[in-house]
Amino acid sequence: MAAHATVGVMVAPAPMLQFAGVSVRRGGSTILAAIDLAIPAGSFVALTGASGAGKTTLLRLANRLISPSTGSVHIAGTDIATTDAAALRRGIGYASQGAGLFPHWSVAENIGAVPRLLGQPHAEIAARVDALLDLVALPRGFANRYPRQLSGGQASRVGLARALAGRPRLLLLDEPFGALDPATRASLGDRLVALHAEQGLTTLMVTHDLTDALLRAGRVIVLDAGAIIADASPADLVASTHPAVTALIAAPLDQARRLARLETAAPPA
Amino acid sequence: MTEQWSRALAMLPDRLAAHLGISAAALVTAILAAIPLVLLMAARPRWRTPILTATGIVQTIPSLALLALFYPLLLLVGQFTQRLAGFGIPALGFLPALLALTLYALLPLVRSGVDGLASVPPEILDAADGIGMTRRQRLFQVELPMAAPIVMGGVRVAAVWTIGAATLATTVGQKSLGDLIFAGLQLEDWALVVTGCLAAAGLAIGVDAALLRAETGLAERRWSKALAGLAMLAALVSGILGWHFAARPAATSVRPVVIGAKNFSEQYILAELVADRLRAQGLTVTIRSGLGSAVAFRALAAGDIDAYVDYSGTLWDTALARQDAAPRAEMLAVLRRDLKRRHQVTVAAALGFENAYALAMRRDTAARFGIRSLADAAARAPQLRLATDLEFQSRAEWRRLQAAYGFDFAAITAYTPTLMIRALTGNSADIITAFSSDGRIAAEDLVLLTDPRNALPAYDALLLVGPRRPDLAARLAVFENSVPVAAMRQANWQVDRAAGKQTPEAAAKWLAKHLGTSGDTSGPRAITRSAAPPLPQTG
Repeated sequence: MAAHATVGVMVAPAPMLQFAGVSVRRGGSTILAAIDLAIPAGSFVALTGASGAGKTTLLRLANRLISPSTGSVHIAGTDIATTDAAALRRGIGYASQGAGLFPHWSVAENIGAVPRLLGQPHAEIAARVDALLDLVALPRGFANRYPRQLSGGQASRVGLARALAGRPRLLLLDEPFGALDPATRASLGDRLVALHAEQGLTTLMVTHDLTDALLRAGRVIVLDAGAIIADASPADLVASTHPAVTALIAAPLDQARRLARLETAAPPA
Repeated sequence: MTEQWSRALAMLPDRLAAHLGISAAALVTAILAAIPLVLLMAARPRWRTPILTATGIVQTIPSLALLALFYPLLLLVGQFTQRLAGFGIPALGFLPALLALTLYALLPLVRSGVDGLASVPPEILDAADGIGMTRRQRLFQVELPMAAPIVMGGVRVAAVWTIGAATLATTVGQKSLGDLIFAGLQLEDWALVVTGCLAAAGLAIGVDAALLRAETGLAERRWSKALAGLAMLAALVSGILGWHFAARPAATSVRPVVIGAKNFSEQYILAELVADRLRAQGLTVTIRSGLGSAVAFRALAAGDIDAYVDYSGTLWDTALARQDAAPRAEMLAVLRRDLKRRHQVTVAAALGFENAYALAMRRDTAARFGIRSLADAAARAPQLRLATDLEFQSRAEWRRLQAAYGFDFAAITAYTPTLMIRALTGNSADIITAFSSDGRIAAEDLVLLTDPRNALPAYDALLLVGPRRPDLAARLAVFENSVPVAAMRQANWQVDRAAGKQTPEAAAKWLAKHLGTSGDTSGPRAITRSAAPPLPQTG
């Protein structure tokens, strides 16, 4: 595995990602208040909550797209404020809503962006691009296409492949399936879970869709008005009695029950 | 008619190549200047408004004025570098044209650069940051390539503007298609005007089409199309240059003698007359015509041109900045002494005729109002409309006339000299500023008003030689007292008349033959005034 200077050498079992007393204030309003959070290596964590709850802000703290007003963020025990931001980000996989593909670059160039920034040899990058296309289940012929020639689901897959190209150990996803239709969303979600396990990743995924969070992640963190109001496994979260959490979960659970009733009421095929 | 067209066509390759050269140089310079400005604005958004405002203000200055402004500015800078570093800079020709056109092209370039960078969606910038691009990598790998199509649009606009505005470079002595247009307007040679305009428009359209191709190629990310656009551009440029070099006479390595001419017929004719004389002596001579009146003398003093004809009253006012009046002989003596002392300019010859400012009227109008003198005109001024040439109202002569006669005209309008006479004959004006050597005075049966209070100074035509080629003074001394006013009027009339119009070259040949100054190198030769042809009396 490629060495990432920024991640540092693990001498003690420090969490892969740790937030220590992190607050973010912008123009007098508090976006995140005194967050303490430790994410062990290998976890798949979903960050959820209503719009404006602070979930994207929390994610962007992890690769220094945002700096905390107070407190510190650590990756594998290293305070990331002491590292070079660009080098740090090259060691972390990052994919955002709508994939954010560079329209003037081909699929291969998009996927190979991080290895190229890392100065890897051309042949190695080309091989890596092919492997990544396989990994996200896209035909290799897509390498020469341009983003405008891709569907939303295909673009999301390319975005995911680009995030994985630098062989990161930490993957940050901001609404990765935001604008996709339900079928694409489901198949891509399953692919992501499989990749997470195969690649030995630590994944932090922001989603406003509680169903996604509950079905994909091993741990779900619910934010409300800049504070963590729940941090539990999906099963525990469903059983939670916290009024804000139950309010959030009520709607998807109710939908699921109604869908199940429809299925049982339908005549057998 | 066909002769006119073939003459215009013969002028074309040289001017077209020069036009392309100055336009391309200005555009490239502007692009080079715009890049750091745009990058500065991208890095420091608070610089955006001041820079865009400044380039916008430059754009509101008429391009003709912008070009003219660079002349005195460069003269000042040149004096400064001369004192500081021991070398001057040319204030006429390429440099002022380049600088003015460059400034003019900046706005569309800077604006499109800013718009192009602003067109990059925020999620793309976020992705670039998120995968670990540095600020510089993001700019060069993502923002600039994505801004390229919009920037190319700006380059296209700048190119078309620059090619159009470059026709005005003629006024600061830079060769361009404006040579044809300005000379044609002055001489009412529409073949020249049309050829110049069509060539400028054609060049603009061709460049625009090539750049459009490159732009859409970039926008669609089809590199073959973008390259085809650049290939079109290259073909256009090499075609023009090829035509230019094929049409060009064999090159000489020595800098030719440059004869200047202001922008009226007499000046064109005299420049040709002087040039022919020097060519007959084996010198290589070129003519820079269409110079602004004030520009011409400074160009001579600075060595940008080597000889031209100016008029004593004009020099008294502009070159010596004298406000007082002096008798003709004393004026000439002072000019000979002070021009030499202050500007290293030699009066090679007083040509022997005067081209004085005067006010003129149609004979019938003058009779109707009973006007014979400027004093009579002043009494009737509220009923009269004055038409002047473009510079008269800002000249000392006008202030002197006002002081002496206190005119209060019903209307005052400025025209180019040719259109001014048209305004009078077409009854859009009742009284005009005129030049006493103008052939049209006799031809249109105008009366020159007498000046009983001697408010207007003498305007003896003086052939001046600049400091770069003082040897020309001896070669040109032959013209001393050689051109009677009647002969000059006749030569001017050959060029200015509507029917049977001659080129300035032909008129100069006629004049030389008539005066006996053509060709021979046997030294000064006396010309008697009786050699002039009879002309109608002009009141």
